[in-house]
Amino acid sequence: MLRLILSRLVGGVGVIIAVATFSFLLLHAAPGGPFDAERALAPQVQRNIEARYHLDDSLVTQYTDYMGGLAHGDFGYSLKRPMSVGEIITTHFPYSLTIGLMALLVAVGLGVGMGVIAAWRRNTGVDYALMSMALLGISIPSIVLGPILVGIFAFGLGWLPPARIEGPASYVLPAMCLGLIYLGTIARLARGSMLEVLGQDFVRTARAKGLTERAVVWKHALRLGVVPVVTYLGPATATLISGSFVIEKLFGVPGLGGFFVEAIVNRDYPVLSGVLVFYVAFLVMLNIVVDVVHGLLDPRIRSGR
Amino acid sequence: MVRRLAGVAALLWLAGCGLPSGDYFGAIPDVRDRPRHLRFCNQGEPDYVDPAMATSTTALPVIYALFDGLTLYGLNGMPEPSLAERWDVSSDLRTYTFHLRHEGRFSNGRTIDAYDFAYEFIRILHPSSASPNADGLEFIKGAGAYNGNTGRVLLRAQGGLAAGAHVEIVGAAGKSIEQWTKDGATPPDANIRRGSKPLALRDLGAAASAAYATAPAGADVTIIELTGGPVSMASPDGQVWAYVFYDQGDGAFGWVPLAELDQAPSAEVDYEVRALPLRHQIGIEASLEALTADDAVTRPTVHVRGADLLMLPELMGMRIPDRWTFVIETAEPTPYLIAASPGRPFRPTPREAVSRSPRRWTDVGKIITSGPMDLEAWLEKDRLELVRSRTFWNPDLVKLDRLTIFSMDDQAANTNYYAAGGCDALASNNVPTSYRPILNGERRRYLDYAVVPYNGIYFAWLNTEKLTNRHLRRALAYAVNRKRLAGVLHGPIPTAQFTPGTPIKDLTDAELELCGVTRDQPGVALIEVAGEVCYVPPLGLDFDPEKARAEWALAKQELGADFPKSLTYRYNSGAEAHKIIAEYLQQSWKETLDFDVTLEAQEWKTFVADTSQGKYEMARFGNIGSVTNAESEYLVLFKCGGAQNRGRYCSPQYQALVAEARKLTDRRARNAKLAEAEKVMIEDAPVIPIYIYIQDHLRKPYVRDLGLNIVDQVPVYRAWLDPDWAQHPGRSTSGEGPNAGYSTAAHPEAAR
Repeated sequence: MLRLILSRLVGGVGVIIAVATFSFLLLHAAPGGPFDAERALAPQVQRNIEARYHLDDSLVTQYTDYMGGLAHGDFGYSLKRPMSVGEIITTHFPYSLTIGLMALLVAVGLGVGMGVIAAWRRNTGVDYALMSMALLGISIPSIVLGPILVGIFAFGLGWLPPARIEGPASYVLPAMCLGLIYLGTIARLARGSMLEVLGQDFVRTARAKGLTERAVVWKHALRLGVVPVVTYLGPATATLISGSFVIEKLFGVPGLGGFFVEAIVNRDYPVLSGVLVFYVAFLVMLNIVVDVVHGLLDPRIRSGR
Repeated sequence: MVRRLAGVAALLWLAGCGLPSGDYFGAIPDVRDRPRHLRFCNQGEPDYVDPAMATSTTALPVIYALFDGLTLYGLNGMPEPSLAERWDVSSDLRTYTFHLRHEGRFSNGRTIDAYDFAYEFIRILHPSSASPNADGLEFIKGAGAYNGNTGRVLLRAQGGLAAGAHVEIVGAAGKSIEQWTKDGATPPDANIRRGSKPLALRDLGAAASAAYATAPAGADVTIIELTGGPVSMASPDGQVWAYVFYDQGDGAFGWVPLAELDQAPSAEVDYEVRALPLRHQIGIEASLEALTADDAVTRPTVHVRGADLLMLPELMGMRIPDRWTFVIETAEPTPYLIAASPGRPFRPTPREAVSRSPRRWTDVGKIITSGPMDLEAWLEKDRLELVRSRTFWNPDLVKLDRLTIFSMDDQAANTNYYAAGGCDALASNNVPTSYRPILNGERRRYLDYAVVPYNGIYFAWLNTEKLTNRHLRRALAYAVNRKRLAGVLHGPIPTAQFTPGTPIKDLTDAELELCGVTRDQPGVALIEVAGEVCYVPPLGLDFDPEKARAEWALAKQELGADFPKSLTYRYNSGAEAHKIIAEYLQQSWKETLDFDVTLEAQEWKTFVADTSQGKYEMARFGNIGSVTNAESEYLVLFKCGGAQNRGRYCSPQYQALVAEARKLTDRRARNAKLAEAEKVMIEDAPVIPIYIYIQDHLRKPYVRDLGLNIVDQVPVYRAWLDPDWAQHPGRSTSGEGPNAGYSTAAHPEAAR
């Protein structure tokens, strides 16, 4: 297991270097620069700015400076606001993390439950109802779902604030909105895999032993049934936690997602590459966690062959 | 089961979509427990709160609260005296003398004087600052040469030039400046010095031990200013001190005795220089004719050593006759300078704070302010907390103890937050377009919703090089029914005039008199200086199908076989409104003239490039004025060969009238002449004006003196709350001033 983790870590560093290089090149190849505006700046003003931020250095120099900084954990400074990229990440990632984890709780908790129940009661009204809801969750984009949730819970019922993070209650709507999108996928995954597992020999054996149906489903079958869900959770968690730009915008949450998209629009190179590298590192770590959890759930994977 | 769920969902949905009932959009919180605390929903996160660096409009409400200026925006969007008690303007409109009050203070207690204004110009225009706002000061004498790092003061008389002459570098080290630029290289800078010992950067006159940054021995530093210069402070101890920039990491500025800068790497470099044109020489009186004549003169060049040149702040058009007088000199007549004087470049920042930490001096805890409020907290993308300043010279200006500015950028999030009672007022245009028909609808008009005109015009350019026939252009202009279009778009003010303003019917009696118009007159008028200057643009070619068809016939007659079979109208993709307008125009031309126009959408950057290069026939555009001045903001578009002249319109008659106007120093006469010029232009129809932009606002009924004005410069810090608002229904909720009177039906008082 330790060897698995180590080899994954080494591979992860390689991925990070590749992503950093690739994103650097792509960003500098994209048309437009950080200081291009509708009303063009006077050429000399533009030159002064480029000199100040070393954008007039050769691409090779800029690249070596950038990678040198990364090696020291220094992501550089935003070109558009008086903040370092490191500060932006440490200040704003916690918001995205909290909402992401809560959304994950909603998506996994409800999703797996719905999937298992649907599989258990397959082809009944319950199954159809649950799966229709799941489909609805997948199909409604958050940009539509958000206002509906705000309309119901903030203005209709007056239970939750419509925007901004002012306290624990403020996290509920964005987390719900974000989680519902993944809930559907997870419910369908869980149902499919549970159906397969419920047809296997060891389940028949368990039933033959005289175990109650409840114990068969929730104790024996579920453990194997959630493996595809866990696999899916790696990338899903990364997406959830890295902060949804749309959700953050809709609810006025100062998360990292907003900075990321804004940096793309502004061509704020240091922020964009810094946040991207951070995300990739995060994704690599999550994948390692997923591998470990897989091993714990399924002995066949643990043995490694 | 499914059916029951669906029923519940539908019920909830209905409940959720229920519009706020009552006169106001959403909750009206009781503000008795916080009568001196205003919460304002801005349109997003400010990029900087440093006046020299900020470019976003979201930064303005914060900057206006934190930094005092020569003048401040009044509730009506016009300048009011602040650090400048009064000012004199020379008859040629090129010299502006500001008399400063003695009470101005930074929040660290230091007195603000003329040298702080000079320092702000240095900050914005010096190349090392890399300020994107340098563009905004280009009208100042010598600003271009200073910002471009080519202006120099000659230190020793030679080659027919006197010591102290202001020159520009045309070549360095055997290569012309153009060649250096083309090679992407920087010529050697004669302002660069080194110290053979480490340089202790400190405040002026401080001991070396009080240094806050050190440049190592042999490191390059750039001289920015020397004590004793015409716009620089005197030396505290008899020796000359230099204010230098050390470019390492975040960079640092500081003073060192000049004697310590004992190495000059470019001292022996050969520079080719020539005197700056008369137009950019400071303190010289000359007629406009003499200046124009001088522009054409070829000045001889002289070769000098780097040691004899320095770039110093006195190259810029400013003078400091005494500590309390600040004089600005401009290259051209600049009638809009006073209107622009509450802007960012005229709000001094504290040198002692900026020098220590050029990038981070605005951090909470480090920031030194000068305005009515101090910065207590700055939570990025969430909010800024501002509290009343204890050092501001004019405490009566502010009634609030605390101002919270929220930084959410989504319009719906802001409006929803407002409706839930989270903030007391929204920044302008912070309401989603889809909410407009609800807020300002026929069935119900919420009383906390206000619409005022904005200093901007939406119009179509006609490329006069492609549409050469005047009658053809006039026919196209006459064929558009703007009133009907404005109805479709929910709000904007339909117009056939080019320079925007306030509808004449909405002016006050005093304004009617100032503008010399009567209330029953159609069209708009622009108040340029409250109580002093008004501009009445000529009426344009408004909808008239008869005239359209008559002009059309004339065009056909004149053009014969050359008459176009169809034309193409371009707009930029990405905004739904542009498409709606394009389709409306297409339909109008079909209905009135039975003429087919093809529509073409383009990505924004390509659209901008194509239209400026004249590769189009007709295209939409917008023009927004940053000050209320017809000449500098609107008429400038029609200058022959001008960069902004996308219609490629060039009329000798128009040019002559504008030139005549510019000789008139009486602003009434000048504006009358300018209106004649605009009349020539609008009759030639290089543009089809469509509507005047509007701004919409939401503010709770207890918010008072939130000045809504045509330039959308709202001094939020001057607003206050009236907890007992319900008992004072007659009182104005906003400080309406000139140009703010449109759509009175949307104002609470009028609607009652």
